[in-house]
Amino acid sequence: MLVSSDVPLLRVRELGVTHDGESTPAPASVSFDIAAGEVVLLLGPSGSGKSTLTLALNGLLPQAVPAAMTGSVEVDGLDTQTTPVAELSTRVGMVFQDPDAQLVTGTLLDEVAFGPENLRMPVAEVLARAEEALRRVGLWERRRENPDRLSGGGRQRLAIACALAMGSPLLVLDEPTANLDPAGIEEFYAALGELVAAGDRAILLVEHNLDAAVGFIDRVVVLDHDGFLAADGTVDQVLRDRAEDLHAMGVWLPVSAIAALRLRRAGFRLDPLPLTPDELRVALDAEPAPAAIFSPNPPLVAESTRDRPPSAGGLAEKGWIGGAGSDAGGSDAGGGAGSDAGGSDAGGSGVATDPLIRVRGLTLRRGRTEVLHGVDLDVPRGSFVAVVGANGAGKTSLIQALAGVVSPPKGTVHVDGLDVGRADARTLSSRIGFVFQNPEHQFIAHTVFDEIAHGLRRQHLPDAEVRARTEALLERFGLTAKAESHPFLLSGGQKRRLSVGTALVAGAPVLVLDEPTFGQDRARADELLSLLSELNAEGTTIVVVTHDMQLVTDYADRAVVLADGRVMAEGPTAALFADDELIARAGLRPPPLRRALQGVQRHPELARIARLSDLPGDPSSASATHAARHATGGVA
Amino acid sequence: MTDTGPLTAATAAHSTFDPYARRVEASGLRFLYGLNPLAKLAAPLPAMALLVFVRDAATPAAFLLLAYAVLLVGVSFTRRLAAILFLALPLSALVIGFGFALWTDASRVDQSVVVWQLGGWTMYGGALEVGFATGLRLSAIVALTLIAGLSTTGPDLVRAAVQQLRVPYRIGYTALAAFRFVPRFGHELDVIRQAHRVRGSHGGRGPFAAIARWFGYVVPLMAGAIRHAERVALAMDSRAFGAHPDRTERYLVPWRVRDTVFVIVFWLASAALFWFFFPWGLR
Repeated sequence: MLVSSDVPLLRVRELGVTHDGESTPAPASVSFDIAAGEVVLLLGPSGSGKSTLTLALNGLLPQAVPAAMTGSVEVDGLDTQTTPVAELSTRVGMVFQDPDAQLVTGTLLDEVAFGPENLRMPVAEVLARAEEALRRVGLWERRRENPDRLSGGGRQRLAIACALAMGSPLLVLDEPTANLDPAGIEEFYAALGELVAAGDRAILLVEHNLDAAVGFIDRVVVLDHDGFLAADGTVDQVLRDRAEDLHAMGVWLPVSAIAALRLRRAGFRLDPLPLTPDELRVALDAEPAPAAIFSPNPPLVAESTRDRPPSAGGLAEKGWIGGAGSDAGGSDAGGGAGSDAGGSDAGGSGVATDPLIRVRGLTLRRGRTEVLHGVDLDVPRGSFVAVVGANGAGKTSLIQALAGVVSPPKGTVHVDGLDVGRADARTLSSRIGFVFQNPEHQFIAHTVFDEIAHGLRRQHLPDAEVRARTEALLERFGLTAKAESHPFLLSGGQKRRLSVGTALVAGAPVLVLDEPTFGQDRARADELLSLLSELNAEGTTIVVVTHDMQLVTDYADRAVVLADGRVMAEGPTAALFADDELIARAGLRPPPLRRALQGVQRHPELARIARLSDLPGDPSSASATHAARHATGGVA
Repeated sequence: MTDTGPLTAATAAHSTFDPYARRVEASGLRFLYGLNPLAKLAAPLPAMALLVFVRDAATPAAFLLLAYAVLLVGVSFTRRLAAILFLALPLSALVIGFGFALWTDASRVDQSVVVWQLGGWTMYGGALEVGFATGLRLSAIVALTLIAGLSTTGPDLVRAAVQQLRVPYRIGYTALAAFRFVPRFGHELDVIRQAHRVRGSHGGRGPFAAIARWFGYVVPLMAGAIRHAERVALAMDSRAFGAHPDRTERYLVPWRVRDTVFVIVFWLASAALFWFFFPWGLR
């Protein structure tokens, strides 16, 4: 724990790691130092080896995880390849992504004491350390409780306390908020912020939720796609000055920075580049609107998207889909539809007459508790609907009832004219597809081909047709080469695509997904959302439950806000998220872009925008549509 | 609970079963909580082993009474205890008793007493006697295990095993961590079943389809379990688990004089009961 001033706390030199069974190293060659007390953010596109790098820092790799390692990692002068993990644990504390996978004992106090006990410290020292660590994350009062009773955010705070109790001067946090809901993320960062303010620990943070983290970062280290060091410098040097480069590399940036880049293209100066919602708001209020920012792009004018539901409830699209084809991402449906529909409101009113999903008086019980109380809801054909709400609002129950995963009372839910409460599973699967959170849960066959073909065989189609349609779908989802593989041997992204494919193969016009991005890294989430946008553009109606508000505002054209088992509000996303009071009442957090823009005084035309694609500054060409999808993908 | 300290169970009132829950310190009379878990396991062990070979009804009944007496005095009287002692155990003894009475081969029992007749079928007193002896025997064995079961927490048992039986702590604490897997797997299994039902992999009715269906659940469940176990192992390694041959024990579960006394008294009582009833017909 003694760090002499001339030796950095952590010294990484030309680190390369090749996992057993892989051929290319990720990371390939990375060198950087961390000094005592420094807070460093590690960024890089998916596949650059960020998580792998964190495992090498305390010797878990190569000591516990089999892999070939080149270069060297020294912590406090100790080589991590030869020093036992146990000894390194007093120098490097780890916080992992999954809070449940870090619990061993039965009370918070025992949990924090677990590490010091393993180090054979005297009881008095163990208790002193445990108390100090628990107090620092604000959990001392709850020390006698079972960790199961903490929220996700609380359990991650506990994980910080456990790492602190090891006495390590360096904490390594690997996507610590990926499994948390927005409230949990806030809770976690409040605790981490206090820790940083105390300044006694160095921190290496791998995080996609940059909006919360960027405020207290000293330095940013960036890996490129091939696992080489791409940048290493202060926040100003890396995030502000090289934002465009990083963005092009596929590195996540804070939403505010993405928005600012876009506004720069529209003529705003915004120099230095704002990184947080607050900075963006202040910067916008500090400069006048550039001349004619809105005039060159009438379809993207904020006013029109605000006043008219984006995508007009998805109706005008019929023609639009044919015209634009798969070039138009769902995220741009609003703008695209707007330009097509022009000023006609007729499309919008046509929505209500022919909803694809019709829910009337849906009341649902789970055991003895009623979880949904008389829900009425229409889902228009071709729309992309997000179901949002605080924990326990009944989101999952609602979509499970829509898809017949749990049987709704007869006559309450109709999908495409079919009464879900009376339908048998086979008929149902041809009308609505359900994708579970973990794709592995729904795999039932031994090859990818059979997995897809299963839904068709159930319909007793002739073999030739089953084969033809299965092959077409495999082609469509980029799985042809994997047709004979076992579904469990696919990569994460492939598994997800396969699960979407199995839900759609029977011809269902609606796809329902339960928290499809929860616990996934950003890149995988983006890949999925791009896929959903494409499907939506081709006419599939999409319903998702999610906690990710920027995702909701960027992709969904309609939103359903649930609270306590009732529909609190329902309508076009932009309109709902412009209503701050409603969002607060539902226990939700406004998306980062909304937080930045809602207080802007000087540019009232920006103040109501919630989604990136509604911002000015996006050239309205086909290539721009891709850029925008990429942009939203990069940060959503 | 051997340590005192301020840690009484905040979780005791929690309704769901919690293998880690610490018990509220009870009055001194509730002596079972103060004993070493190993003593509570060792004391009834000889009686349980011998009861397996007993055929009469009086001996198990006597041990049943002994176990009830120890439990009623030794552990806090809660609604759960009452439900177990006065509902679950007697009911299961009755059900098992009648069940075995029906199953018993009528030609091999004492046919002197006819309890009731149903057409050509006769229930003999001897069959009832055999049945109820079996029911009582099983109940007595279960009641004896409850002496440890109702007064011991999972962590205490692990600690005692590590401290007195010299079980390597790496095994003991890993087992403790594995307790956490159980509810998680339960939940995961529910979701998998739901997902498979939605996919329509029902496979039909009947026992063979059911077996096939359960095999379908095993692969995703195991895949999830292995991944979770790997993550837990990495998290434990990063906190120096297994670094040294032993680790600090904040909770000592010592073997004290009272434990020896309890075991010896219980063994003597068991011997006395067996001697008195001597159920093997040699006397």
